[in-house]
Amino acid sequence: MNENLFASFAAPSMMGLPIVVLIVMFPSVLFPTPSRLINNRLISIQQWLIQLTSKQMLAIHNQKGRTWALMLMSLILFIGSTNLLGLLPHSFTPTTQLSMNLGMAIPLWAGTVITGFRYKTKVSLAHFLPQGTPLPLIPMLVVIETISLLIQPMALAVRLTANITAGHLLIHLIGGATLALINISVTTAFITFIILILLTILEFAVALIQAYVFTLLVSLYLHDNT
Amino acid sequence: MTNPEMDAQVHFTDIKKHFNSYTLTSRMNWVLATYEGIALMILYFKLRSTKAPTVKAT
Repeated sequence: MNENLFASFAAPSMMGLPIVVLIVMFPSVLFPTPSRLINNRLISIQQWLIQLTSKQMLAIHNQKGRTWALMLMSLILFIGSTNLLGLLPHSFTPTTQLSMNLGMAIPLWAGTVITGFRYKTKVSLAHFLPQGTPLPLIPMLVVIETISLLIQPMALAVRLTANITAGHLLIHLIGGATLALINISVTTAFITFIILILLTILEFAVALIQAYVFTLLVSLYLHDNT
Repeated sequence: MTNPEMDAQVHFTDIKKHFNSYTLTSRMNWVLATYEGIALMILYFKLRSTKAPTVKAT
């Protein structure tokens, strides 16, 4: 039972060859490149969604921050589509791997921090001390603010990993419980099945929300540093 | 939050001119001073541990 529970999170391989790269690249196939001025329905809907998201997300940014538009939109599309594809039965979700999420979080966070230190060094350093801090608290607060800055990429990665992994585990457990209860009590199995349906709907929402939260936080870190 | 206008409004004297928690420059100075203090402390303890006398065999 224990081995089956975590087997879906193991890196997939086919005939000894790792196919995780193919799985990570697959969502890009679902977003065709627009080749005409007026495209087909799928591309038009995707363009409308991207425009809606980018307008809302980039509204707070100045000229410098808006140079990150492509990066932020790619990020939300990738994480959202990967999370949603992971809800298909027996599929592998790359965003359940902490290594993958750290690989996204650390470079993006470091990019924002380095941008801030490079172009606004004084303001970036002054950020470590809130205005009006009493004198005895200053050294402690500087240390606390430094730690909270360094924790940001870890929190970004772990938040995404934990949410998606926990959701998939719950679906696995409740699905297994539903199957086990069919022979014992059909009524209880039916109730558990209803819970499973509600959980799956929740996981659809969580998949999109986590993508939005990840991208929004990167966008906020960028806003603080531009 | 940061208020660049505060730099023109406050008027500190002596050391408080460079080390207060209101102006941007002095907040930066405090942060740098804290980091330097931590670095000095680490250096001091490291040097102290390398200079520790070895125990004589009896």
